[in-house]
Amino acid sequence: MQTDFHYYATYCAAFLAGYSHEDSLTICYSAQFVDWCSRTYLSRLKAPLSAATTQLQLELMDAGTDPVGLQDITRIWASFHFLPRDLYAPKEKCSKRYRNKFRMICGPNSDLAARTVELAKGKSLQAAGVAMHVIADTWAHQYFAGTPSLVINNTNQHFYEILPEGDRKIQFRHSASLPDDLEKSIYTCSLFQSSENSIMNLGHGRAGHLPDYSFIRYRYLPAWGDYEEIVKDNPKEYYNAFCQLIYAMQYLRGERPAFETGQYAWETAAPHEAKIRNILETRQLDSCADWAAFAKSLSGQDVPDFDQNQYAQEYIQADKAAKDDTFLGKFILAALAQKSMVTNQIFRSGSLLAGFSVDFAEKGFKGIRDFQRLVKQAERGQDHGEI
Amino acid sequence: MGKFERVRNVLIGILTIVVSLVMLLLEPEISFLIAAIILSFSLLGMGIRLLIYYFAMARHMVGGKIQLYVGLIVLDFGIFTMTLTDVPHLYLILYLLGTHAFGGVIDILRALEAKRNGSSWKLKTSQGAVNLIVAILCLFSLGSTRLLVVLYCLGLFYSAFVRIISAFRKTAIVYIQ
Repeated sequence: MQTDFHYYATYCAAFLAGYSHEDSLTICYSAQFVDWCSRTYLSRLKAPLSAATTQLQLELMDAGTDPVGLQDITRIWASFHFLPRDLYAPKEKCSKRYRNKFRMICGPNSDLAARTVELAKGKSLQAAGVAMHVIADTWAHQYFAGTPSLVINNTNQHFYEILPEGDRKIQFRHSASLPDDLEKSIYTCSLFQSSENSIMNLGHGRAGHLPDYSFIRYRYLPAWGDYEEIVKDNPKEYYNAFCQLIYAMQYLRGERPAFETGQYAWETAAPHEAKIRNILETRQLDSCADWAAFAKSLSGQDVPDFDQNQYAQEYIQADKAAKDDTFLGKFILAALAQKSMVTNQIFRSGSLLAGFSVDFAEKGFKGIRDFQRLVKQAERGQDHGEI
Repeated sequence: MGKFERVRNVLIGILTIVVSLVMLLLEPEISFLIAAIILSFSLLGMGIRLLIYYFAMARHMVGGKIQLYVGLIVLDFGIFTMTLTDVPHLYLILYLLGTHAFGGVIDILRALEAKRNGSSWKLKTSQGAVNLIVAILCLFSLGSTRLLVVLYCLGLFYSAFVRIISAFRKTAIVYIQ
């Protein structure tokens, strides 16, 4: 997903869930910021680098593909962009190494998705925004894994766009400078690399931007799928995502008693369904303008363009003790909590793909110092009777 | 390219230079024998690694059989090279030159593909061209074994330097977020 959905559509979902204009802006800004919060950006702020929620191309270029480097990559991409569907998925007659990678395949309505939303309950609006990014991506990025893997994330030439006039073979090229050509179904994807752990085999790189376009329907053979074709109907999946975001945020606001997977706020979205589906189905590379117009029709307010530096000065200028109370400070806490939770769940499933996780409640603080912020946050919560 | 890979490339480059120097100092026939043994061991290792990868991972993958075929071919080349240590040295020389020339052609083809994809291609092309030229020059100098060794070692030197330089280069990556 791109800015159109993570920023503008998330604003619309938050507003429909009952948040005010200002709160909706905070949530959608945080949701979009997940795609910007890299180590490079955090180092400029002198913020904890462990809170990185994405990696820039330059960072990936120098990322190590040794076990420690791969664990770092997996922690970021599996926690925020490719939440695993089932960490205990059965897969017979295969090596443990293969099974662990297979279990990293992303998908919606998982236990981890429920944990992600519950983790944001009672926390900041920034935490809600982070959770909404993760939930939305479980729909767009399903069938791909947030860890480099040729045997999971590779695709081949069997790739067809499903169009009203008939299916059309998709052509892939590797030129990042050229925009995707919707007229001829020519899309950019990452280069084929036969190395299992090549960065080229991370996420949906081999399928290009297709999972990120709301309008597209396509069929293909995923590397892990035993030659069974997958049909991806993005307009349908994106509408589900939108309705699940509303449902999740209604839960976060206390309007629903629990967050249950497979539940959606159909009734809340129903009055706007035709308009939303129209935006989702319009063939265009960027639907920001359409979503922004829809947002204005809902709240009567303009949604400003996303500015990644909007809150940077506030964080830089804040006293050390007050940094966690700034906009970005709250975002960083939410990011650390999400990464900590997902890493722990992967570790508990018997996989070391995301590295080691030490349970603070059982063994005390033994780990990366950046995560001490979470301990302090929990202690502050206890002091205020929140936990 | 990760840090580990960069260090690995530098070490392999240095090792290649050392081996080339040793080969230059030894008798030409012995030098070629050493080259054949090193080549066969590296091919054997690569072949076994690819076969393990196929049985552990790639057999579950759509199109994964290619890993099996590549593994078997590389392993076969390794075993074949090992058997060549018994045959007359002229055949060994021809075989080594053949693999050298083949590597050069592959480099050029890969460079052309990189050019089509808008990636950097010049260094790879020059590496392939030099390998190919060295192999052709050797072919026309079969009468002098010493000259053959010198030409062959020059090719190795060049490959080693390119590998070391490559380890310090930034490589363009297309990544779709």
